Amino acid sequence: MKYILLLLLSINLFAVDATLKIEKDVEQRSHIALVDGSAVPNDQISNILLSDLRISGHFLPDSTVYKGNISSNFIAPALKKQEYVLKYIFSQKSGTKLLIRLLKASDGTQILKKSYAIPSTRKMPFLAHKAVSDINNILKYPDISWINRYVVFSRYTTPGHSEILLADYTFNYQKVIIRGGLNLFPKWADKNQKSFYYTSYKGQIPTLYKINIYTGAKEKIISSEGMLVCSDVSKNGSKLLLTMAPGGQADIYEFDLATKRKTRITRFRGIDVNGRYADDESRIVFVSNRLGYANIFKKSIHSAAVSQVVYHGRNNNACDAYGKKIVYSSRESAHTFGNNTFNLYLTSLTGSAGTRPLTTTGSNQFPRFSPDGSVILFIKHRGDGSSIGYINLGSHQSMLFPLGGRKIQSIDW
Amino acid sequence: MIKKTIVITTAFSLLFLTGCSQTAPGFNGSNAGKNNISDATQIAGDTVTIDENQYGNETAGSAAAGKYNSSGNGFQSIYFAFGDYAISSNMENNIASDANVVNRANAAKIKIEGNCDEFGTDEYNYALGLKRAKAVKDAIAAQGGNTGNIVIVSFGESNPVCSDPTDECYARNRRVDLRLVK
Repeated sequence: MKYILLLLLSINLFAVDATLKIEKDVEQRSHIALVDGSAVPNDQISNILLSDLRISGHFLPDSTVYKGNISSNFIAPALKKQEYVLKYIFSQKSGTKLLIRLLKASDGTQILKKSYAIPSTRKMPFLAHKAVSDINNILKYPDISWINRYVVFSRYTTPGHSEILLADYTFNYQKVIIRGGLNLFPKWADKNQKSFYYTSYKGQIPTLYKINIYTGAKEKIISSEGMLVCSDVSKNGSKLLLTMAPGGQADIYEFDLATKRKTRITRFRGIDVNGRYADDESRIVFVSNRLGYANIFKKSIHSAAVSQVVYHGRNNNACDAYGKKIVYSSRESAHTFGNNTFNLYLTSLTGSAGTRPLTTTGSNQFPRFSPDGSVILFIKHRGDGSSIGYINLGSHQSMLFPLGGRKIQSIDW
Repeated sequence: MIKKTIVITTAFSLLFLTGCSQTAPGFNGSNAGKNNISDATQIAGDTVTIDENQYGNETAGSAAAGKYNSSGNGFQSIYFAFGDYAISSNMENNIASDANVVNRANAAKIKIEGNCDEFGTDEYNYALGLKRAKAVKDAIAAQGGNTGNIVIVSFGESNPVCSDPTDECYARNRRVDLRLVK
C-alpha cells in the first residue's frame, strides 16, 4: 500500500510543470468576476477575457461567467466576496462591439465604462485584449499592453514553401500576410508594428526585405550568399543584427540602415548565429559552436573578446536578450532523433542573479522576450501537439494556447 | 482507512493531471475588415496578403535523379551524419564526380544547396546547412573543380526530400544538392 501511495504522489509531482506553477502570492492579485449581459452569450469572448485576466498576473478571475443586467449597479450577494465585477455586453450585429463596465464589488461603484467596436469579426480577440489592458491600467497595475500586440510568424507549408502570418497573442486571430514562395525569419521593424523584415528566397541568393503590413510596400535591404537572417533590431530601429555569409561563412554583422554600411561583429570559422542586442545595445549575446557544440556567448560590439554565458547543457541553440536578462533553450536529452526535451532557462549577462529554470516538460523553443521584457513567448511541443506559451516573469503565471499542426519556422512579437 | 486514503489521493492526482494547462478556445470568424477598434489607436487600417505563388520557386524545379540523389544536371548529392558538416569518406566518389561535372559546365552558374533534417531549430540549422554547402564547395575545389561560378545557399530544414519518421529518411534530408542555375 505504501508503494501505491508513493506512486500516486510521484505522479502528482511530475504532473506539475514549472511553466504552469503559480508562485505569486495569491493575495496580491485581485479577485474579479465576469457578468455577461449579452443577448446572445458568446463563450469565445468570455474565455478570452478570462485568459487575458489570468495571464496579466494581476487578477484571479472567477471561472464562472454569471448572467446579469449590465446597466444596473446591483452586485449579487454571491459576488460580494470579489473585489471587482466586470459587466459586459458583446454583440456581433452590424460589426463587433464590446461594452464593459468595471464595478467595485463591495458597493457597485463604477470605476470604468468603455465601448469598443470593430467591423471585422475575425479581429474580435483584440477587443477583449484592449478591454483587459484598459482595466489593468485604470487599476494602476504594471503595464500589460503586450497583450494588444501582433505576433508575426513563419511556418512551413510544403517542401520549399512557407507562409508568413499575423496573429494575436492567443493565436485565435490569424491572417496570412505573405503566401507562397519561401519567406522566412520575420522580425518586427518598429515598435509600432507597421513593418517587419523577412528573408526571401525568390532570387538566386537570400535577400532581406522590409514590408509594410498595411500597404504591402516592400523595400529591399540587403542580399547575401549562403544565408541571411535579421536576428534583431535596435530599439530606435536604425540598426540591425544580421547573420549573413558573404564569403560562405556565417557570422554576425551590424547593419546601419542610414548608411547601408555593415560591420562584422564575430569572426569564427564555425557557426555564429542568433545575435541579440543586450545591455544598452553595446553588447550582443549569440549562439556559437566554438566549444564544439551550440552554446550561448556574449561580446562587446566594438571589441574582440568573447565570453561564455552558459555553463551547462550540451546543446543550447537559441537565445534572446532584454537588457541584462537572457533566456535560452537547452537540450536535456540525448536522442539522436525523435522527441528531445528542450527547457528554457533565465539567466543574466553577469550571471549574478543565478539561473532559473522556466520549463520542465516537453520541447520548449523559440524563446522571445516581450518588448518590455516582462513576459517570454515560446513554442512548446509535447506528444499531444504544439502550443504557444507565455511566461509572466513577475507573477510566474504561464499559459498555453494550442497551435495548428504546421511547423513554425520562426516567430517574433 | 488505507482504501479511503488511496481513493482521496487518486482523486487529487487526477485533478492535478487534468488541471495544468490553461487553454483558450478556437475561433471561426470569417469576415475580414478594417481594424478600427474605437480608442485602440495602435491598430490602424487592414493588413495586406501577398501571394508569391505566381513567382514559382526555383529550388523546386529539378526532380531527384535517383533514389538517393536529389541533385540535378548530372550532379550527385552529398549526405552527412547527424549534426555534422564534415564530408565522410564514402562521399568522396560523389565529390570527384561533381568536380568533373563542374569543370564540364564551362561558364554556367552552379548552385550548391545545403539542407538539414528536421531536428535543428531556428538560425542554427540554417548555419549548419551552410557549413555543409561550404564543405562541398571546398572539397570540389580540392579535387580541382573550378568554383568561380558556384554560389552556395542554405535551405536549413525547409526543403526535405522525404517526411517519413525513419532514420533513412532523416539521413536523406541531411544533404547538399547541386544544380545548374537557370
